[in-house]
Amino acid sequence: MLELIPLVIILAFLFETMDSCAGMGFGTGLTPLLFVLGYEPLQVVPILLISEAITGFTSGFFHQEFGNVNFKIKKPLNKETKIMLKIAILGMFAIVMSVFLTYYSIKIDKSVIKTYVAILVLVMGIIATFKLRSKSSSYKPKLLTFFSALAGFNKGIGAGGYGPVVMLGQIFSGIYEKTATAIVSVSEGLVCIAGIGAFVFVPVLTNQPIEIDFYLLPSVFTGGFIAALISPYMVRVLPNKLWRIVIPVYALGIGVYVLLKVYVL
Amino acid sequence: MENEIIIDEIGYMAKMIDTEMTIFERMKIKKSTLKRMVIAMSIYVGVMITFLVVL
Repeated sequence: MLELIPLVIILAFLFETMDSCAGMGFGTGLTPLLFVLGYEPLQVVPILLISEAITGFTSGFFHQEFGNVNFKIKKPLNKETKIMLKIAILGMFAIVMSVFLTYYSIKIDKSVIKTYVAILVLVMGIIATFKLRSKSSSYKPKLLTFFSALAGFNKGIGAGGYGPVVMLGQIFSGIYEKTATAIVSVSEGLVCIAGIGAFVFVPVLTNQPIEIDFYLLPSVFTGGFIAALISPYMVRVLPNKLWRIVIPVYALGIGVYVLLKVYVL
Repeated sequence: MENEIIIDEIGYMAKMIDTEMTIFERMKIKKSTLKRMVIAMSIYVGVMITFLVVL
């Protein structure tokens, strides 16, 4: 019997709304909350990857539909599509590496890397907040590559914070906020597909089979999917000026939340 | 100079919509988009039925 859990649906809806609008927070925000609610990592992590893969593409499709972005699948690819692929490929490589590290039990102190990510996101959020007044910026492709690689590295060591680093990195690189959000949605979808693949194949390769519990999937998928339909519309309707404020402030909130989780909660 | 041209290309459509349309104009949804949203909801129902059968 299919069981839908209202609290999980609401949480998934809220975090996916912010993820599809501000390009960050679904994994970083929802994962620890589900752990607090008593769910196990194997009930949460693969389910969030599956859900994020579907909602990433759904939200990306509607971002395109509402004109927040203009991806071109046919050659020659345009700049927006190339940026999305660059971010996605680095992230896909990193997430596969991250699953390998987990299965080969390479131990890195979680509190140290969580602190590092929280401080990185906080510093980027503060810089982005200070940059709010500057209206125009030129495109900096090298900076974008650097931040995409940095976000991939964070994901690779299992530190999270992929969305905030990629999102703020795009803004620092001069990409329009609404378009940056759409680019993150699709690239996260691709990264999550690689993550699902790694979750399925790495245990087989390492002879450590795992059993994924799909109990949360219908609830997380329901909340996430509805949010992925609505959020691109919100991004289109609300002015970019608002997103310029919301994105860094939300990133600051995520940084503080991660720090609190490590040292207080 | 070249970078400025590229930045105009990136996000060009979103910028154009923001500058040329009011918030109320942006609120309007095209019929074709509504149709796609309905299709997406039907896909959601299909996926949930699949979950019901498979899980």
